[in-house]
Amino acid sequence: MKWLAGLGLFVLLLLAYEVRVAVSRKASAPVQPIAFNHKIHAGDYHIACEYCHIYARRAAVAGIPSAQRCMGCHKITAAGNSEVQKLRGYWERKEPLQWIRVTSMPDYVYFEHWPHLRSGLTCQTCHGAVETMEQVRKVRTLDMNDCVACHRERQASIDCVICHR
Amino acid sequence: MELKRRDFLKLLGVGGATAAISGCTPDAPEKLIPYLIPAEETVPGQATWYATVCRECPAGCGMLVKTMEGRAIKVEGNPLHPVNQGKLCARGQASVQGLYNPDRITQPVKRGTDGSLQSISWKDAEAVLATQISKFKGNGNRIAFVTPLLTGSQDRLVEMWLKAVGGGPRLRYEAVSYESLREANRLAFGAAEIPYYDIERARLIFSFGADFLETWLSPVEFARQFASMRTYRDARIARFAYIGPRLSLTAANSDEWVAVQPGTEVFLALSMIQVILAEDLATGLPQTETQDLHGCVADFTPESMGEKCGISADKIRVLARAFARARPSLAIADGKSSNGTDTCIAINLLNYVVGNVGSTVRFGSNGAAGRVSSYEDFLKLIDEIERGEIAVLLLAGVNPLFSLPDAKRFQDALKKVSLIASFSSFPDETAAVSHLVLPDHTFLESWGDYEPREGVRCLQQPAMMPLYNTKSLGDVLLSVASQVGLQKTLPWENFYSYLRDEWQKIYREQKAQEDFETFWARALQKGGVFQPPPSRAVRLDTKAIKRRYEPPVFAGREDDFTLIPHPSANFYDGRMANRPWLQELPDALTQIVWDSWVDINPRDAERLGINEADLLVLQSPSGRIHVPAHVTGGVRAGTVAVAVGQGHTAFGRYAVGRGANPMPLLQGAPEKISGGLVWVGTRVTVTRSGEKFPLATTLGSDRPNERRIVQTITLGALQQQSEAKPKPELLPMYPEHLHPKHRWGMVIDLNACIGCGACVAACSSENNIAIVGKDEVGKGREMSWIRIERFDEGKTDRPDQHFIPMLCQHCDNAPCEPVCPVYATYHNPEGLNVQVYNRCVGTRYCSNNCPYKVRRFNWFTAKWPEPLNLQLNPDVTVREMGVMEKCSFCVQRIRAGELAAKEADRQVRDGEVVPACAQTCPTSAIVFGDLDDRESEVAKLAKDPRGYHVLEELNTKPAVTYLKKIKPGPVEG
Repeated sequence: MKWLAGLGLFVLLLLAYEVRVAVSRKASAPVQPIAFNHKIHAGDYHIACEYCHIYARRAAVAGIPSAQRCMGCHKITAAGNSEVQKLRGYWERKEPLQWIRVTSMPDYVYFEHWPHLRSGLTCQTCHGAVETMEQVRKVRTLDMNDCVACHRERQASIDCVICHR
Repeated sequence: MELKRRDFLKLLGVGGATAAISGCTPDAPEKLIPYLIPAEETVPGQATWYATVCRECPAGCGMLVKTMEGRAIKVEGNPLHPVNQGKLCARGQASVQGLYNPDRITQPVKRGTDGSLQSISWKDAEAVLATQISKFKGNGNRIAFVTPLLTGSQDRLVEMWLKAVGGGPRLRYEAVSYESLREANRLAFGAAEIPYYDIERARLIFSFGADFLETWLSPVEFARQFASMRTYRDARIARFAYIGPRLSLTAANSDEWVAVQPGTEVFLALSMIQVILAEDLATGLPQTETQDLHGCVADFTPESMGEKCGISADKIRVLARAFARARPSLAIADGKSSNGTDTCIAINLLNYVVGNVGSTVRFGSNGAAGRVSSYEDFLKLIDEIERGEIAVLLLAGVNPLFSLPDAKRFQDALKKVSLIASFSSFPDETAAVSHLVLPDHTFLESWGDYEPREGVRCLQQPAMMPLYNTKSLGDVLLSVASQVGLQKTLPWENFYSYLRDEWQKIYREQKAQEDFETFWARALQKGGVFQPPPSRAVRLDTKAIKRRYEPPVFAGREDDFTLIPHPSANFYDGRMANRPWLQELPDALTQIVWDSWVDINPRDAERLGINEADLLVLQSPSGRIHVPAHVTGGVRAGTVAVAVGQGHTAFGRYAVGRGANPMPLLQGAPEKISGGLVWVGTRVTVTRSGEKFPLATTLGSDRPNERRIVQTITLGALQQQSEAKPKPELLPMYPEHLHPKHRWGMVIDLNACIGCGACVAACSSENNIAIVGKDEVGKGREMSWIRIERFDEGKTDRPDQHFIPMLCQHCDNAPCEPVCPVYATYHNPEGLNVQVYNRCVGTRYCSNNCPYKVRRFNWFTAKWPEPLNLQLNPDVTVREMGVMEKCSFCVQRIRAGELAAKEADRQVRDGEVVPACAQTCPTSAIVFGDLDDRESEVAKLAKDPRGYHVLEELNTKPAVTYLKKIKPGPVEG
């Protein structure tokens, strides 16, 4: 009967693993306060990434567009859409939008966007084909292995202090 | 239940696997919250800098405040400012801890009938004040206003307001004040002001008790000038002797400490004048005047005065001749004894006879410190309060209940005041007795202006929105004015509009080409409007010189110890005691933290059976304190010294119940001539209490003990040595490190370092250094990445004290690197010894191997009580428990500099990357740059003949070169 105990253990471990993967998959494509659809904006309307993520070329963070940027168009555009009405609600109430972060690094990693853009990488290299995503999700692990492999390939520095200060 | 071994192992395996899997779940989701409407000039991750003026002491240094996402996180000196020229002292660096102090008063409070403080709204608080003002308005000077030294718009507004409400008196109260100096100038030269001292120009300085590198007048400016003065040029170096009973930090930086009996400086000066006139060494005086003056000082021969001062007659002659021959020389004095004004008059005459007046002492700049009310004026105010003449007392930014000798009398008198309103930002002793507290903004949050001297008009602007529900003093006064019907006299809606109106006047004076708005924007950007100080000639009043120069008098028993209380470099007059960085900053001379102590001479200690850290009782006719002993040759036998600043009974968690306040020991009578407080005029009985009071100190050993850590070179040896001695080449065991692009290195000039500790405070601010508290420092667990080490050499009774900033040497052959089991520390291609926090597992082998002992281990995860956490630098990792850390040469600044150069498609320029310590050092002792760039300053200095490495014999090959301290020897005639 010992083999039964072993099988039970195996099933338990498998279940645990599946749960973990499911949880992390959900976490990597979180539900946002407004169901912003990149496929419509960046895909169908060809709005450039940097129109909204304005700091990407000049700062460490790319930046999430301010409500003012959204309202620039949506004061008029798609006013009837329920998600746009949610946005207008936030704007009128002067309530900041709390987006759930999809791509983030631990505190001890200092990633800067602009040198990467400067070196010729596209946003899609790391963030995937965002213009095809209805809900933004992580496509690369973006763990240290991922970063270092690309640095090695493109002969950028792999000195620890480049990212860890 | 009996568990078989195999089953146990199985259970362990399953349990471990489950734990491992469950531990791999992702963290709670992070939020990204953008602005609704972003600020135009703010780019996230990039700092915005604002120019303002530091208000932590009356020196008025220009300051640049670094803000990130609307939070002030670091302060630095304003390079354009004439006073400090880009440098700040430790107190200036710690001003952010005032802004973010967890014990700040966050909104107006009123004292209820049960004595407790209750929060009220601004409307109610102002209404309470307005009611009382209305009641006593125009009712014969019953509204008194005490502010600190204010100048410019703030000062004028207070004056106008007080006049409009028919109030008075108005006092500008500073605990550290210069009445005797001012009065001496008035009597001798007809100029009741503080002159401009050109230390940079002098070839010889005699300081009679003036601690100009720590707290006297304008320490940052003087430190910078002092370092410039002491540069080795033309095979010579300018000289400095300190005359006084205590070896202060300033004295420790002198060539010679002339330890006179306290209060006898006047006789030494007069005796020197006698020698100068007798030996015909005077300069630029008409013959009649020389004869006249000679008559005044004829009796003060070295023979008769030497004994009084405790100095040999020969020494006096040597000093006098040296002073006359150095062209120009400079004598400065503090005048803190009972004959303080006499002393300052004597020093004025000393400067005069050798032609310094108009040269290194220049009148006309009218230093702000000369506009402070006298101590006697405050005593008169207390008299008026006792007589019931004052109904409303307004106290803004002052804490007389801590700094007055007879604070008890003041506190008792206050019972007669109907309304005591304090504008204090902190719950200090004065706020504790107030009926109403209307908390002011800290200077980092408010508008204002300040003039440290004529021609230097600093503009103060807020660097961030006020943290709490506080209101600026000016705004409250204007609001109350309108509530009591004075809108016509004071028509401004807020202080900001009043300030702008005042600056319209300055604009018109300047006759600038541009319009006012451009002028205003430029003034804000620059930090103010700066012009060279005006200068005016003065004449000596020979009648005033012909006076009876009094010997010092002391309260207390003849054979007791003379007490020397002095403002501390860390806390000034006590106002900075609530800044944890300053509590944890070791006192430069004693290396003691978080406490008070009393300096006592070894001979006296032996005689009385006193050992280090024995708790002593100091008793004077006016009071008594308990304070632990520190045995040091740094005080004359028969004197004891206690720093002022600790011993608060209220002031927040970092200051309360810590140390002892020596002010209550002083006899409270003012000096007759000037009305100033007599600091050195009391004798105390010193007895052992029988207990011990352990002091926490960062001192390892007092003496270097054959380790050549601080190296010195005599002037003679330096004159003979033209270039650096070639270093013996040791065969390397490992392949050399390659540095393809840069090799970062540092040069620290020990001849310039004065041991002030500004670098330590700046590093703490920049790099999120944890505060560990007294007990942990006692265990050697202080976290500072740079420290000032002090070593004594020479005689025990009169030691030579040497300072050396010690930080990670970023060794080329680092002993810490090969022993890390996880490769958390390594040598990077730019010469840095890098510490990667996330790899570190905390074996602490690296710290064990480091011969310089610069590696700090996080024994605990530091807590930053809110809102101190707002000060943290987002560019530097905040370390957790179990991780080793150390100086990184401010790698975040190096990276920022390199990236900026990359963005502009050019190389990093020399001087572009400046670590926090080098940036703030008032004497520019620390120079940083690329050692491989032959044109860089650091590369040139590293080849200086005075260059050496600490513990060179260990072959660590440090990237930090020290320049030997030049010891020119005692002053020669």
